[in-house]
Amino acid sequence: MNPMKASFQRVSWIARVTFLEAVRQRFFAFLLILGAAMALSSVSFRVLDFGHGELKFIADFGFGGMFLFGSVLAVVMTAQLFFSEMDNKTALTLLAKPLGRGEFLLGKFAGAWAVLGVFVAVLSVLLGVVLWAREQELLLLSEQSGKVPPTFSASGLAQFALLQWLRLGVVASIVLAISAVARTFLYAVVVGALAVVAGQLQWIAQDAVLKPSESPAYEAVLWLTSRLLPNLQQFNIGDALVLSSAGVESGAVWAVTLAGAAYMAAYVFLGALLFKRREI
Amino acid sequence: MSSAISVRHLTKDFRVGLRGLKLRAVDDLSLEIPRGQVYGLLGPNGCGKSTTLKIVLGLVSATAGEVSILGCPSATPEARRRTGFLPEAPYFHKFLTGRELVRYCAQLSGVASADVAAAVEDALGLAAMTEAADRPIGTYSKGMLQRIGFAQAVVHDPELVILDEPTAGVDPVGSAAIGRMIHAMRAKGKTIVLCSHLLGQVEQVCDRVAIMDRGKLVLEGRVDDVLSRRDRHVLTVEAMTPTAREAAEAALAAHGAVVTSVTHPRRSLEDLFRELVTGSRDA
Repeated sequence: MNPMKASFQRVSWIARVTFLEAVRQRFFAFLLILGAAMALSSVSFRVLDFGHGELKFIADFGFGGMFLFGSVLAVVMTAQLFFSEMDNKTALTLLAKPLGRGEFLLGKFAGAWAVLGVFVAVLSVLLGVVLWAREQELLLLSEQSGKVPPTFSASGLAQFALLQWLRLGVVASIVLAISAVARTFLYAVVVGALAVVAGQLQWIAQDAVLKPSESPAYEAVLWLTSRLLPNLQQFNIGDALVLSSAGVESGAVWAVTLAGAAYMAAYVFLGALLFKRREI
Repeated sequence: MSSAISVRHLTKDFRVGLRGLKLRAVDDLSLEIPRGQVYGLLGPNGCGKSTTLKIVLGLVSATAGEVSILGCPSATPEARRRTGFLPEAPYFHKFLTGRELVRYCAQLSGVASADVAAAVEDALGLAAMTEAADRPIGTYSKGMLQRIGFAQAVVHDPELVILDEPTAGVDPVGSAAIGRMIHAMRAKGKTIVLCSHLLGQVEQVCDRVAIMDRGKLVLEGRVDDVLSRRDRHVLTVEAMTPTAREAAEAALAAHGAVVTSVTHPRRSLEDLFRELVTGSRDA
């Protein structure tokens, strides 16, 4: 068999079992239910809206649930899937087979990312249904009042969902790279969570790089930080994609997608390199 | 033909604690494990057996020395393709059934898609797990876990099978079943490396043994040779040969006895093990 094809198959088998293991976890079901409840209940909470359009409030509520619970899932579940293999010593059995360390790590990543895809897809569909139902109600009301009704873009929501999946993939790849060297699950989760916070704040470093500084060392640290850490804020273009009539330039979406994919690939590669040196 | 496993001057140091103190787990170990035999690797807990096996399988890197499996450097996937491994106290994904686990391992071991189903059935049959194969692994007893572990280790028909404590915690019936599986693999011409504390079983199934203590090899050889006490003889009554026997026969005949055989007395492997290992501990 073609070595590339054989390698791809091994990765897909590891990914399949990882996926099955993850979807059986209560933790996944718990976060999925919480996220779904948040998306569905957003209509009830719209009375708390402080002047924004109703659809924007509902969409922001759903985006928030996807971001918060998705991030928790990406950090905790990815680390847990890795350390369950290490701590239970199932990795001993698997890595004693003609399976490369890189293939093992890539399979774990693919399985975790697939679960995150299910999470994002379920929440996006629910959010889409809630938005569509309210949009229909508002259409009827606007016909009676003569006002312009608010609308949302289903294709924009689909694009946003794909970007969120990519964002969670970047987070999962960072956590996996950390796990490859971490000795304990807790360490991987704490450092992974800090990396997510740093990624959310990365734009500060990007802004600072653009300002002139007298210290070359300071500039070098900022430059390195802004390159090593992905800017997770750049994925937050939900409002523009879903609610804005103008939408977003396709070039901007592609730029975010390519940057996310590059970071994801780089961190999986880094994780594989680090894992190669790990003693099982 | 190259050895099944060749270990040359293997040393492994672990760094422990914040100060990075060096702990030597394997100390200049050299071993040649011939093909087609059952080879017992013995030693007390912490003597370096499992570390040696992990280095052989490429799971742990060596500090110094060389290890090859069937002529290939041991850390390569090619070497592991021809090797099966049952780890100590195996733990498998509980949500998989026994059949799913063995199929999963067959696929990872490179068994061709068209041959997977037959290979899985053969391995399950050899491990006497066909009836329980569709139950989730979470419902298996310890003995069944060992047997399904044996099935996953041999599903790709490896030339070399490494079994780390295959009978640990298993009752005598399960232990005997694993012994039969080892005999079946030997009958197929496979090389089997067996790490075990059940010295009686090792004595029964192994052709050669190596005993390790504190990371070093303290004894290696054929089971019959290492257990024979060549400084003493046992006379059994009947047809003893050469001149010495005639004298003995005459002496015995004077007392109405007949010599039937002369053989080397044996001590048990357990006695030898205790003498070599516990003796050095007491010193």
